[in-house]
Amino acid sequence: MGIVIAVISGKGGVGKTTATANLGLGIAINNKKCVVVDFDIGQRNLDMILGLENRVVYDMVQVMDGEANLKQALIKSKVNENLHFLAASQTKDKSVLDSDKVEKLVSELRESFDFVILDAPAGIESGYEHTIEFADAAIVVVNPEVSSIRDADRAIGILDSKSAKVKAGDDVAKYLVINRIVADMVESGEMLKSDDILEILNIKLLGKIPEDKGVIDASNQGKPVILDKKSIAGQAYDRISGRLCGQKVDMKDIEVSDAGLFKKITGIFK
Amino acid sequence: MKSKQYSLKVFETTVGDELQFINFFESNYTLFKDHLIVIEGELSDNIRQYLEKKNLKYLNNVVLPKGRTRKALEEELSIENADAKFSEQMAKDELHKLENQLQNNLTVLDEMIRSGREVNIKGDLLLLNRVNSGATIKTSGNLIITQVVEGAIRCNGNFMMLTASPKANIVFHDVEVDNNLLEDRLNRVELKNNEIIITPVLKKEINWAL
Repeated sequence: MGIVIAVISGKGGVGKTTATANLGLGIAINNKKCVVVDFDIGQRNLDMILGLENRVVYDMVQVMDGEANLKQALIKSKVNENLHFLAASQTKDKSVLDSDKVEKLVSELRESFDFVILDAPAGIESGYEHTIEFADAAIVVVNPEVSSIRDADRAIGILDSKSAKVKAGDDVAKYLVINRIVADMVESGEMLKSDDILEILNIKLLGKIPEDKGVIDASNQGKPVILDKKSIAGQAYDRISGRLCGQKVDMKDIEVSDAGLFKKITGIFK
Repeated sequence: MKSKQYSLKVFETTVGDELQFINFFESNYTLFKDHLIVIEGELSDNIRQYLEKKNLKYLNNVVLPKGRTRKALEEELSIENADAKFSEQMAKDELHKLENQLQNNLTVLDEMIRSGREVNIKGDLLLLNRVNSGATIKTSGNLIITQVVEGAIRCNGNFMMLTASPKANIVFHDVEVDNNLLEDRLNRVELKNNEIIITPVLKKEINWAL
């Protein structure tokens, strides 16, 4: 029995899909069987970021409607054989989902994978509610800016009231990933500190990812940035994947720029 | 002083159609020549001239005191008494309700109020956690929040206790409270003589160890 994790953010464009792709691949690299599912029906992107767009034959909606079976629809990644992908339908819209169908699909995936990662759509509409309904845990992706944090706060509130696990009297584990941190801006006070974000959202910190120009190029090429050992964002995703797989990886302080670190060191010798 | 008291006969009417009015008085002149005529509504010159020519006594738009029978007077008095009793009972009920609100209706919450949530409380509220941006707290009674507020507050009680909350939108009895007046520690916000008064509760931190 695997664990089902929904990747949510509330606001769009904060890096949910990029995080899903990289964490899915990172988990696979850690030798766990992992499937990533694109729940953003009508606006699928995950296939492109994983570089699997030309291999999609059947999508999730066809599996739910019985037009194809799960085995036919699952796409195995060429980069790592532990990573599987289930595409969203690009032609339908979010209204095709219903709770019973989603529950059946999720429990089927749970049987055969260690990790089931669901990429939620932006917003808090029905598509989002169906994504979180049967998840055991959620990864909340935010950018260090107020609008992203308020939207994430709202999304967490809905998660806490609509999730099947909460309705059964249980807790849904929630983990925070802060994406696109620019150390210089945090130091100068232009960007929110992660401590402040944690105080507002009050959930566990899973990891911080620095801003990295390489991410866009990696997405365009369909090669998740985690494969690039030199990329600072890739390294951050690598650390987070390790934590998800149960390793103890220390939190790296990426909110200090090299210049800031230099200042600190010279400060010691003063 | 010499005075007399007598009853007189009054005929109350409105004009409506002028021709009909004149015809009516023409045919009933013998009946009305000893009456006082009271006319409601506008009076045209035409009608005035007619009434004066006929030497009829008239008044326009006046309310005359009308003598009432003893029975009617008694009836009115008894209704007034019942009303007074009823309003007395109402006031008692209201007071009772208010007492209940003050004594028993305290809600204690220890949970984060996240964006999009609206907490509506009848009575007093003690909130031991944050109110995030985009959330709303409404109370009919007093309000105490021990942590930072970034959302909206609507309080209609006797007082509020708040910490410094520069991002909050606070409305106390339909008046917006200036955030800058709230100092770091707990502040007491209350309404006295239609004026909002803000007093910091603790100006100095007390060191109990000393």
